[in-house]
Amino acid sequence: MRRRSGVILAAIGLGLAGCGGEAKAPGGAWQSQMGEVRMAVRGSEDDPMITRRLTAYKTYIGKATGLPVKLYESSDYNGTIQALSSGQVDIATMAGGGYANVDAQIGDLAQPILTVRQAEGDTGYYSGLLVMADSPYRSIQDLKGKTLGYVDFNSTSGYLFPRSVMREQGIDPDTFFGKSSFAGGHTQAVMALDNGQFDATIIQAGGGDPEHGFTTGAHFTMARRGVVDLDDFRIIWTAGPIPNSAVVVRTDRPQPFIDAVRGAMAALPYDDPEVWRDIGQPDGAAYTAVTREHYTPIIKLRADDIAARRSGERQ
Amino acid sequence: MKRLFLAVGAVLLSAAQAQAPALPLRIAEVTGETTPCAPLAASAPAGQRAYMALLVKRLQTEVFNCPMADAAAAAEALSGGAVDVAWLDGAAFAPVSGQTRSILTVRAAEDLNRLPVVVAVPRAVQAQTLADLAGASLVFGGQAKASLDVPRRTLADYGASADFFGDQVEAQDHEEAAARLRAGQVQAMVLHAGAWQKLCRGDQPGEDLCEDLRVVWRQRPVASKAWVIRSDMSDDRRFRLIGIHVAMHNEAREAFTWAAGDGAGEFEPTEAKALLHQGPTVGS
Repeated sequence: MRRRSGVILAAIGLGLAGCGGEAKAPGGAWQSQMGEVRMAVRGSEDDPMITRRLTAYKTYIGKATGLPVKLYESSDYNGTIQALSSGQVDIATMAGGGYANVDAQIGDLAQPILTVRQAEGDTGYYSGLLVMADSPYRSIQDLKGKTLGYVDFNSTSGYLFPRSVMREQGIDPDTFFGKSSFAGGHTQAVMALDNGQFDATIIQAGGGDPEHGFTTGAHFTMARRGVVDLDDFRIIWTAGPIPNSAVVVRTDRPQPFIDAVRGAMAALPYDDPEVWRDIGQPDGAAYTAVTREHYTPIIKLRADDIAARRSGERQ
Repeated sequence: MKRLFLAVGAVLLSAAQAQAPALPLRIAEVTGETTPCAPLAASAPAGQRAYMALLVKRLQTEVFNCPMADAAAAAEALSGGAVDVAWLDGAAFAPVSGQTRSILTVRAAEDLNRLPVVVAVPRAVQAQTLADLAGASLVFGGQAKASLDVPRRTLADYGASADFFGDQVEAQDHEEAAARLRAGQVQAMVLHAGAWQKLCRGDQPGEDLCEDLRVVWRQRPVASKAWVIRSDMSDDRRFRLIGIHVAMHNEAREAFTWAAGDGAGEFEPTEAKALLHQGPTVGS
């Protein structure tokens, strides 16, 4: 009886092996190795809107990979950075500055695979120097000795990147301006400018380029809300483009996982436009494949900044 | 005994799934003559060999080249299950669209995404379709490629070339275009979908700032050629194929140049029926 049972089981096994390969629900070696997909996300699941968005996204990635998807929620940038660097998660979406931090920690063990290309074709955004339209300032040179607002000490577009470009252009931001301070956020920076606290402020600008103008940024959002009037402002200088956020994977995961998740995410705006919009991506935008090279300027910027701090050149 | 039977069966099932070799991938190539699928000849172009080698490595399976007399033969072979992937145009795809789907197309180096285009009118206006807008005056939401070239090309795909409409003006941006439409200076507004979204999305969830307007037409440009697979291909293989191809311009340049052709920028995913018109065409 025992022998007979063994023969039957072996036969069942062989029969199943013969059916493998093109089953609708994948169950191959890489899925067994992974067990689940662990993705780092930012935001609070207490917010029903975010929960709805993440649930749809999780369902899509789960169906595409054939694996359960576990979301690791982090309330700040650093949480996502550390989760990926430590290998606690397999994949995460993060700003260029965040990826530069991961790259500094684990190098080739993490790789950016996708970024968003906007409808207009750009894969980045800009820092802009905003002044009041009725002010006499027409170029950055006109701001020598004047007051300047930055967004935040850790902001790529609102602090790090424009300062780096200024230095490249022969302007030392620490001595060129009469006084500079942090507004605390993009919206606060525009408000402070509007209230006369600064002569100029650094802002983020996107949805276009210096030649054709911009369509996104805090001052556009505030104008839509009726808080400010766009005609009251003028951008007199820009720095960029700054690479958009990256989808970053751990390279010590199976290559088929990386290919499958990259394919599924790249196909999302075409396969399921509603989920694409639900995760906050704009209509007409799509993912495009990138490599570490795309983020080289940010990686260099971060390295330079750290080196300058260690040498005591910057506070 | 029954429990043991089930437990061992489950282990065998899991092992079988984990270790079953993936089926080969059979790629149709239009060569002028249909011959049986076979491994690629050593005399094949270096780019083609690089392409096949990449797929072998990344899919961890055999990849066969399937010479086909023409695109129609490739489509028929695809729909009949004799090949798994074929590079088709709309004419070859149409007869087999019930059993197949497109997954990838090629984006030219300086081209934009295949972004959807929206034609909107004031809500009170009677027009219901693109055909109803024959002779209507239009405003475009800008002069950049995304605001002008893509919408014009997409409208032309559906038979609505410039001469189908009346007067056409180019606004500075989508806000000015909407202002002109709302002021009655033009009869219809043409925006790319991203601009329409920016125009209409309010700050509160569900808030619609365009309740006074109505979309009468929304389409992506029709893809001229695409990689087509059978609709029953597993999600695992489909997404891995897409994932490999979209990064090929970065990871395997020689393979990419052969597979995508001169002037190509990258492979771009598509919707299932990207090769077909998704509504009636208009005009002459």
